[in-house]
Amino acid sequence: MTAATRAFEVEAPVAEASGPGARVRQAIERLLAAPDVITVTAIVLAATVICLWNLNGAPEFQDDEGTYAAQAVSVQRGDLAPYTYWYDHPPFGWVQLAALAWLPQLLEVGRGTDVEAMRVAMAAFSVATCVLVYLVCRRVGARLPFSVLAAGVYLLSPLSLELGRQVYLDGIATTWLLVAFWLALSPQRALWHHISAGVAFAIAVLSKITAAVLGPALLVALLDRTTWRGREFSIVGFLALGGLTIAVYPLMALLRGELISGPGHVSLQDAMGYQFVSRSGSGWIWDAGSHRFDLASSWIGIDPYLAVGGVFAGLVCLVARRTRWIPVAIACWAMPVVASQGYLPAMYVQGVLPFMAIAIGATADLTWHGLHRAIRMVAPGARIAGPALVAALITTAVVLIPVSNWVERDTRLMTRDLNADWHRTLEWAAANIPHDEVTLVPYSMWHDLNERGWNDPWTLVVLEKVDLDSRFELEHPDGWVAIDWIIEGPTVRRNIENLDLEEAGRAYADSEVVQSFGDWNVRRVIHPAPIDIE
Amino acid sequence: MPIASLLLIAFSIVLLALSASTLYVATYAWWDPKRRDRTGYPADPGSTGLSFSLIMPCRKEPETVMRATLDGLRAQTHPDFEIIVSVGHDDPETVAVAERLAAEHPDRVRVSIDRSEAKNKPRQLNTALADCTKDVVGVFDAESIAAPALLANIDASFRATGADAVQGAVQLVNYRDSWFALRNCLEYFVWFRSRLHAHAQLGFIPLGGNTVFVRRHLLDAIGGWDEGCLAEDCELGVRLSTEGHKIVVAYSPELVTREEAPDSVAALVRQRTRWSLGFMQVYAKGVWRRLATVRERLTARWTLTQQHFMALTGIAIPVSIGLAIWGDFPLPVTLIAFLPLITTLGTVAIEACMLREFGRDHGFAISTRDYVRLVLSTPVYQALLAVAAVRAYVKFRLGDFRWEKTDHSGSHLGYLGAEAAR
Repeated sequence: MTAATRAFEVEAPVAEASGPGARVRQAIERLLAAPDVITVTAIVLAATVICLWNLNGAPEFQDDEGTYAAQAVSVQRGDLAPYTYWYDHPPFGWVQLAALAWLPQLLEVGRGTDVEAMRVAMAAFSVATCVLVYLVCRRVGARLPFSVLAAGVYLLSPLSLELGRQVYLDGIATTWLLVAFWLALSPQRALWHHISAGVAFAIAVLSKITAAVLGPALLVALLDRTTWRGREFSIVGFLALGGLTIAVYPLMALLRGELISGPGHVSLQDAMGYQFVSRSGSGWIWDAGSHRFDLASSWIGIDPYLAVGGVFAGLVCLVARRTRWIPVAIACWAMPVVASQGYLPAMYVQGVLPFMAIAIGATADLTWHGLHRAIRMVAPGARIAGPALVAALITTAVVLIPVSNWVERDTRLMTRDLNADWHRTLEWAAANIPHDEVTLVPYSMWHDLNERGWNDPWTLVVLEKVDLDSRFELEHPDGWVAIDWIIEGPTVRRNIENLDLEEAGRAYADSEVVQSFGDWNVRRVIHPAPIDIE
Repeated sequence: MPIASLLLIAFSIVLLALSASTLYVATYAWWDPKRRDRTGYPADPGSTGLSFSLIMPCRKEPETVMRATLDGLRAQTHPDFEIIVSVGHDDPETVAVAERLAAEHPDRVRVSIDRSEAKNKPRQLNTALADCTKDVVGVFDAESIAAPALLANIDASFRATGADAVQGAVQLVNYRDSWFALRNCLEYFVWFRSRLHAHAQLGFIPLGGNTVFVRRHLLDAIGGWDEGCLAEDCELGVRLSTEGHKIVVAYSPELVTREEAPDSVAALVRQRTRWSLGFMQVYAKGVWRRLATVRERLTARWTLTQQHFMALTGIAIPVSIGLAIWGDFPLPVTLIAFLPLITTLGTVAIEACMLREFGRDHGFAISTRDYVRLVLSTPVYQALLAVAAVRAYVKFRLGDFRWEKTDHSGSHLGYLGAEAAR
């Protein structure tokens, strides 16, 4: 009996072996025997704090976030979108948001706007993704510390932290993709895990179509290992249930009579044609002046360590069969970036970040394993010095270098309030603009301003809808002359130019600033005097 | 939300749960590779220790069929067994054949003549049971071909597991005889390869009527088979399960007993009606209510009724989808109505893999035509099962429990060539 246990017995002599105290002790012992449970709990806690801290202060609310927030609220009210739903994305991403957002909406998080509630709902996906990075690392055989490293890299990378805080469908799809990989890599090779992997992949695609580019990598993860009995069952089950689940989307279009293009209605066919063919492209990545080049440069600029390090780590992962699918996943993701000039969304990078983090964790593990063996071969006696040296090297190389750059960016996300002007503009507009006057507003603010008195998508109008939704003409036959106010956020002028918004542009040109809050202006449109018309 | 929408959603979710449970029991054995190994016989039969009385109940069977079955039993590698051919006194031709066969092999074969007024399989079995002298009683239907090493493996299974009863596998083999035979064969494959193991895992097993073995003293103690029941095999399993006896299910493709599928749609529906009616009878008899815990009773309820509901989902799913589309329901409701179709079509895809394994296990070359037939026959076959389930329910309400016997033409005998050529 050790001194410690003796002391315990003196202090608590009543603790019987079968009493409740013993049961608690047993439970704690069982827990300590399962390090993965403790680690996952710790990752959940850390990720929750970091994802929620100053969540609504930074970064700035984007137009896409406002779009998805408005659409999620529409789903809660029994519709798919506040304006005509035109199959721009499958609706199942914001259906999930709608299902999760009721709690933060009830608690009126932040300053009580819906876009803030949606960000809190998104945090659930970010935390889940972080945990899944750890779990997938464990499934490719990485030791616990390296799996924690991967989760830490993902959590603290300013690129993933910034995107993960925003309401993007890519974030939802990424979580489901990782669930699919985690299931496909199941060590039991159970049919049900593989069928579930197919369904999880389908949900990812139904959340954001671009998730489909990782399909081949998922098949490699599923199949690139020693064969097992029932492999064909797994392949057929994965493909069949996955395919059937994805078919829900075209089925939905078919039931609405909008599957095939036709006059007088939107259709899935038209939307697909727009997104993948006719939408104005972002240029070749090799062209230094292209939008694609700028975008890729900005990703690398925000976090060169994860973006570049992930690619190199991915190459190292080619050496072992269990990690070979990781570079395949990165390559699948990269195909549309390097081999196309089609439209490239800014948040597309979100889909690859967890895989880069997993690559880094797996590479650290492979390096450790390799060095450990090499040292043992050279100096069989060096039992402690070897591992310690390797640990020191890896820690320095992988953890300490990026931290220097990350601290500054992460601190900015965790402390600054970049949305104060957004809120002041919202409150000012709600209080000072008459609610029956036609007002244009960027999508980032549209939904929450509409909730503050307008409650009409054709009196409070999203900027782009004036030119891009034919219904505006029906509602306002006079065209731009009907517009009384424009709320100008940082994206308004750029959008008018990039999207050739003629009507909105003319209203903007004939307007003057009546109130300013930082980057946000409230503009009043100066209508031509009635005398001129006579 | 209007009540009609809520009802349709509830209905669709019930259908989804039913079709998912069907997928679960059908794929149980393939669930993970380890489970596949667990569902087999002990690796090496080794020495033998038990002796067997094999009852072969016959009624209006052609001599060729009876002779083939008897030959399969006589060819057993096991050293210690007797065969009792059970016949009814009102069926003189079959009695004559049985006596002729017994005279040819007096050392192994005896005849038991059942003289009860109304005739059915359990009565014949009980009469034959009185003549049994060995440790374990086994039942082989008149039209089934046993594998030579079967008894030796069953013996090993009894000794390795300490079981009170062992269920061996039966496989229909004449899969090309008719459009429904393929589905019928596959059903047997799924039943013995997977479903029964799922039930065994839950501890509540409806036994089959063929290639089933029970220790004789136990069978005597519980009074043999229930003579009033159309599914006497299922009923026996329920009684043994309820009293806590250990039932083991074992499958190995080399050791299945080969049988033939019914030769006409009418025969198939009759056979199905009899099974369904039997299950309903067993359910109504209520022996399972004696089970100790709520969980066990729920398992029993589910095991005895799942098949009927499964048969009905085949028509209920298209009906609910049709209602959703033409009833002008809101889009989400209509989409929910489609969900059971996903699991149902997924099951068909998995069945294609099962068909492949069925062919590989039994040395049949499964062609593209067979896969196409498997898929195309699904809706009609489902409709037939539903008809049988409804027919059984009507008979059950009317109290009509007459025995509708399945005729045997012996077409499974032609398929044994493929086996020999393997």
